Amino acid sequence: MNVTQAVKQYVSKMIESSGPGMKVLVIDKETTSIVSMVYTQSEILQKEVYLFERIDSQSRENMKHLKAICFLRPTKDNVEYLIQELRRPKYSVYFIYFSNVISKSEVKALAEADEQEVVAEVQEFYGDFIAVNPHLFSLNLVGCARGRAWDPALLSRTTHGLTSVLLALKKCPMIRYQHSSDMAKRLAESVKQIITKEYELFDFRKTEVPPLLLIVDRSDDAVTPLLNQWTYQAMVHELLGLNNNRIDLSGVPGVSKELREVVLSAESDDFYANNLYLNFGEIGTNIKNLMEDFQKKKPKGQQKLESIADMKAFVDNYPQFKKMSGTVSKHVTVVGELSRLVSERSLMEVSELEQELACQSDHSSAQQNVRRLLQNPKLSELDAARLVMLYALRYEKHSSNNLPALMEELHRKGVSESYRRMVQAVVEYGGKRVRGTDLINPNDAVAITKQFFKGLKGVENVYTQHQPLLQETLDQLIKGRLKDSQYPYLAPSTLRDRPQDIVVFVIGGATYEEAQSVYSLNRSTPGVRIVLGGTTIHNTKSFLDEVMAATTPGRGAERSQGSGRPASRR
Amino acid sequence: MPMKGRYPIRRTLEYLQKGDIVFKNTVKIMTVNYNTHGELSDGARKFVFFNIPQIQYKNPWVQVMMFKNLTPSPFLKFYLDDGDQVLVDVEGKDHKDISQHVKKILGKSEEVLQAEELARMVHSNPANFGPKKYCLRECMCEVEGQVPCPGRIPLPNEMRGKYKAQMKGTEWSSNPENIMASSYPPPFEEQEEVREGFLCPLCLKDLQSFYQLQSHYECEHSGEDRDVKGQLKNLVQKAKKAKDKLLKRDGEDRAESGSHECHECLYNGGVNPYMWEPQELGATRSHLDYFKKHRAARIDHYVIEVNKLIIRLEKLTSFERTNTDAAKIREIFFFFQAIEKSVVSWVNDQDVPFCPDCGNKFNIRNRRHHCRLCGSIMCKKCMENITLPSAYKLTSATKEGMSFLGSPSLSPSSSVQGSRRGSISSMSSVSSVLDEKDDERIRCCRHCMCMLHKREQHMDEKDYAPEIVKFYEKLRMCMEKVDQKAPDYIKMAESLNAGESTYNLSHANGLRLEVQKYYELIDALSKKILMLGMNEEPKPHPKTQQLQRMIRYTATLFVQEKLLGLMSLPTKEKYEEMKEKRKQDQERKLQLEKQALQEAQNKRTEEKPRDRLHVVASTNGEAAQMQKSSMTKVGGWLPSSGAPRNWENSDPLLQQIDNIQSFIQQAREASRVDEVNMLEENLRQLQDEYDQQQTLLAMELSKRAAEEEAVQEEQLQILHEREWEREQQKKTSLQHSRTHYSHSREVKSVQEGVYGKPTLGVGTSDSTQNKISPLSKTQSLRVFQHWPNQENMSPLPQCEREPQLGASAEQHKKPTSSLNPFEDASTPLEDDPSNPFHEEMSKSNGKKDNNPFEEEDEDSKNEVTSVGASNPFEDYGNPFSEPSQNAAKPFTEATSTNPFDMDEDAVDENIIEEELLLQQIDNIRAYIFDAKLSGRIDEVELLSENLRELQRTLQEQKQKRR
Repeated sequence: MNVTQAVKQYVSKMIESSGPGMKVLVIDKETTSIVSMVYTQSEILQKEVYLFERIDSQSRENMKHLKAICFLRPTKDNVEYLIQELRRPKYSVYFIYFSNVISKSEVKALAEADEQEVVAEVQEFYGDFIAVNPHLFSLNLVGCARGRAWDPALLSRTTHGLTSVLLALKKCPMIRYQHSSDMAKRLAESVKQIITKEYELFDFRKTEVPPLLLIVDRSDDAVTPLLNQWTYQAMVHELLGLNNNRIDLSGVPGVSKELREVVLSAESDDFYANNLYLNFGEIGTNIKNLMEDFQKKKPKGQQKLESIADMKAFVDNYPQFKKMSGTVSKHVTVVGELSRLVSERSLMEVSELEQELACQSDHSSAQQNVRRLLQNPKLSELDAARLVMLYALRYEKHSSNNLPALMEELHRKGVSESYRRMVQAVVEYGGKRVRGTDLINPNDAVAITKQFFKGLKGVENVYTQHQPLLQETLDQLIKGRLKDSQYPYLAPSTLRDRPQDIVVFVIGGATYEEAQSVYSLNRSTPGVRIVLGGTTIHNTKSFLDEVMAATTPGRGAERSQGSGRPASRR
Repeated sequence: MPMKGRYPIRRTLEYLQKGDIVFKNTVKIMTVNYNTHGELSDGARKFVFFNIPQIQYKNPWVQVMMFKNLTPSPFLKFYLDDGDQVLVDVEGKDHKDISQHVKKILGKSEEVLQAEELARMVHSNPANFGPKKYCLRECMCEVEGQVPCPGRIPLPNEMRGKYKAQMKGTEWSSNPENIMASSYPPPFEEQEEVREGFLCPLCLKDLQSFYQLQSHYECEHSGEDRDVKGQLKNLVQKAKKAKDKLLKRDGEDRAESGSHECHECLYNGGVNPYMWEPQELGATRSHLDYFKKHRAARIDHYVIEVNKLIIRLEKLTSFERTNTDAAKIREIFFFFQAIEKSVVSWVNDQDVPFCPDCGNKFNIRNRRHHCRLCGSIMCKKCMENITLPSAYKLTSATKEGMSFLGSPSLSPSSSVQGSRRGSISSMSSVSSVLDEKDDERIRCCRHCMCMLHKREQHMDEKDYAPEIVKFYEKLRMCMEKVDQKAPDYIKMAESLNAGESTYNLSHANGLRLEVQKYYELIDALSKKILMLGMNEEPKPHPKTQQLQRMIRYTATLFVQEKLLGLMSLPTKEKYEEMKEKRKQDQERKLQLEKQALQEAQNKRTEEKPRDRLHVVASTNGEAAQMQKSSMTKVGGWLPSSGAPRNWENSDPLLQQIDNIQSFIQQAREASRVDEVNMLEENLRQLQDEYDQQQTLLAMELSKRAAEEEAVQEEQLQILHEREWEREQQKKTSLQHSRTHYSHSREVKSVQEGVYGKPTLGVGTSDSTQNKISPLSKTQSLRVFQHWPNQENMSPLPQCEREPQLGASAEQHKKPTSSLNPFEDASTPLEDDPSNPFHEEMSKSNGKKDNNPFEEEDEDSKNEVTSVGASNPFEDYGNPFSEPSQNAAKPFTEATSTNPFDMDEDAVDENIIEEELLLQQIDNIRAYIFDAKLSGRIDEVELLSENLRELQRTLQEQKQKRR
């Protein structure tokens, strides 16, 4: 159930089975990110893979002394490129791996192109997803919804991605989906279809409790991606943007050249792995410790190396020191930038209010606070819009809902038109009409008492009170109390036992906050392994893009928001 | 408990289990001292009778010992793991009181016991099975990979007894050894024939191997497969349903307890996703077979086409045109046109009015041209020409293969069948001319040209191995070597750094150098790869450059990671220090053992005078101390040069020593140090045994010591001295590195020992020696004088007694004869001790801290001689020392050529230092390179500063050396 490991094993298997010698990895756009998420360059270099080539690149040279390992998605384009390649092979041997199911006819076409017998292997290795963390995968697809329905191309891509996860983990699951979401049902059905079609692929050893695939829709919980985050990974993504484990720091004032773009990979960076889910305060302390450690190890420039022993000690410690200095400078820069942004945008206040909006139900104080904070000149457009969005979502149906006034406030503050339009769009995307379960107002007695107790206990950390809806859902699922009416099974049979292996897929993108709660669920629940996936991993910005894409039928069409929503919600 | 009455065992067990004393974990041993009679010991007796069995039962890991009647008052004693002891007086106490008391002070409290009990029963313990409410699993069968309980999923037929019995009846024994067999219900019950081997379960076809069977199954039965699978699925489904029914109640049960459970789960702890167990490779599917099938068809076609062309080309080119003269040209032209036409039938001119490629009409000006290879027609523009050289090249590969089929034949239709890869089986060498205008070329169409071109390219590439490949292969080889050697080296270095003597320092140094050489090689090779073709004018393709850069980068990474992981070796000095320390530790242990042994021996030799014993005891303690510190080689060897040795009975010992020396040399050359530890152990055992034997003998002899005869004494004395001394040599060679050599004392003892030379070597100068005036020549004293010395020699204290005690004529023979058996006993084992000796010797040889001492020794020697010159005892000294010098020569030459050793050591040290320096310089250079690569200028500066420093030091070293 470790997706990172699954992809890594696939890649190492590919490289190993090609034997010794210089190798070139031929990849396409998507497999590039798939591979780069699990392997660092130096790791893959050690396996004698010296070049990375895009299959569609024209500038490749004839290098008959190289072996080519092709890891490609089985798209039409790729197959066509590969046919061209095989007609005039540039490398001595080709090991071809497709990341998903490829049709027989395409294999035949390839075979007929291979006149020089350069192909030594044709296999399907189901690494068709981007493994972010061991329990988190993404497909890097934004804007999968057109209105309330799937974009057909993206539906098939998502289906392929999801089935490849199942194949890589060797799970043939039972499927549950969110009843209120049509998209979830469509996806569930097409996954089921693939499983039936490729039944011999899914013929794994039966476990006592079959694994479970749960498909939910982002629109059910539009609040989570709107909140500011305070755990390391989530925060980096929210404020700096984490793209395939890379962050772009070129906007940071005074950043050195080598730190323009840094890679944060838990696989190769211990500090990052240890602090992934710690909150900002704890990271501060840890980074301080790291610095102190580093200072101790740092050889002093002015210190004379008087004896051979000194020199020897210096030389012995040097590599360690160097490795450490890389880590230290990276994290210090990142955390420094984070704290700069926090103070510049007064995110502490914003976040406090966000949490209040999300977790408490005092309308008047919420409204006052929002108004007050909107006066704050430091508040960025995005944050202002975000607060109003949260307010709008939270008190959508409240009797004294005063959204127009707040919108007016936004207008006066000079927040641009596009942001103001987004407020409306978010309500449309994740408003009450869409939600199957009630996100904010608990409606059954247990939940009410729970919330009551929560209120009684007080909150430990004002910035992290919010629990994503997914956590609640999974909690119930693990306990076997998730209602069949809300999350029906696709097949007639239902699961009687408590599920053990769970794959959750969020249409419209997961968030790192959810990843964290899945992580802690994994840690706290024995015998249960949960893997979270999403069409992408959202931060607020990308989520708003997603919302805009979903609510505007036809990309770029300038229609008024009111009529922009498709009437039909099948 | 007596085994009487009903249920003796059950009753006993019950009784034992009633015991309530469970000791804390710290308690290791419990002893009970009690008396078998007496009022006061009554409670203790009862305690032993009633409670001890219970205690032992409940505390199986505590050793319980009873001592009867040793002390007047009974007591308990407990030994704890930290060395503490707890004493409990039980005199006059009731056994219940005793057990209560013991329980209170050393037993585990109720709470602790309870907690432990709970921990043992804890839910998360995966070893517990039971209702889901309490345990993780209900049954073993829920663990993945276990056979499911037959109650839930019925076993396959062949695993059930009933079915088997039934089968026995019907004599069905065909067992298809097939993967499917186990799950597929055997359908051949009626079959009489017994068949074995790799049978297909569906069609019973016998296939030779597992793989054949598998492929057969996949090919032939992939359709039917579904049915089988369907059946299987049905079976599983049914089983599932049955199971669901069974589990239904459980499920409800669980739902109720769900929340409670989950709450607990939080504390039981799940697993960090990063720690999830390793998983197998995900699903894969190979299309290779399918691919190959389709490719094969295609390739066959392609290969035949190409071969056809090549054969035709071959025919056309094999004509030798040198002998054509102008007169015949026309004639020949027609002749050859006929031949050309016979190679391939030309397309009829009338059939092709237009050029098929460009569509131009053929007329007088635009003439038709025929492709000589396929016979098709095209215009001049669309025509291609194959030059003769390339034609030869294309055909040469095939010619070689058929050179033995010489005879020319005109039949063009001779077989074209060949292997797919173009080695044509037979071909006629038909002569051919080319067009009269351009007889250097062969006309052909574009299509044929294209195919031939591909073929040519292919041929080119087949043998083409660019330079980079050669370098790269070398590079990989070096890397592999490093991968092999580096772990060895690291192991060695670790061991050496810990001061162990398993490995030889110089050997390790050699290995280090070797590994470093490989690193240099890797560096050089990767640099070469990087620079490949960079100087040529058309720069290599950017991709090639990138490849070269990446290889270089990898090599740098490799070197950095591995080389910098190479820990440095200790310098010789340091190593010696560490070794010394370690050895001291071992010595101390050894000494303790020896002492214990000594005491035991002393007890046995109680008949000996008490004061003597006392001396032994006191000196023993001192000797133990002495041996902790180091004694130098010279100190150890000095006496050897001062003792006479030309006696016949010294031979075995002499031989032994010689042997040892030769062994040392051999072993040193072979640098075999691995067995040293084992040998040391052997040696010690040997010595111990030797000691014991000697002691026995000495005891025997001591009884006769009273009958000494004065006349022979002198001679005997010398003899014994020599004997003793030889032994001492042996020993000192062992000891000299550990016994402390106190310089000032040595001088004194030398002065004292001028007469009794042997004492010199011991290098001890305790009070006992002072007591003995060198002037007192009386035998008794002399005998005595040796005693303390011998005791000081403590590892072999007894063996020296014997010669001194046996100081009579008969005894003179006796000891020698009695010595021999020992000699015999020890000679076969000589090989064993020799190596340890060698080790010790070599250690001391290779030791640098010898130097100052040696010089001192030299001084002291001088002193001795000078003192000796002015000494009144000179007379005594001379006669001894003169013969000894001759005799001692082999020793001194062989082992203790001190001044030379010293020099060598000093030089050695310099070399080592230089090596170290060079290493460091190399390392730093690597860092600098790296730092430059990653552009950290401040580091570069710092490093180059260091580098300069190092280089300066190196220079200084070199100068010093000169």
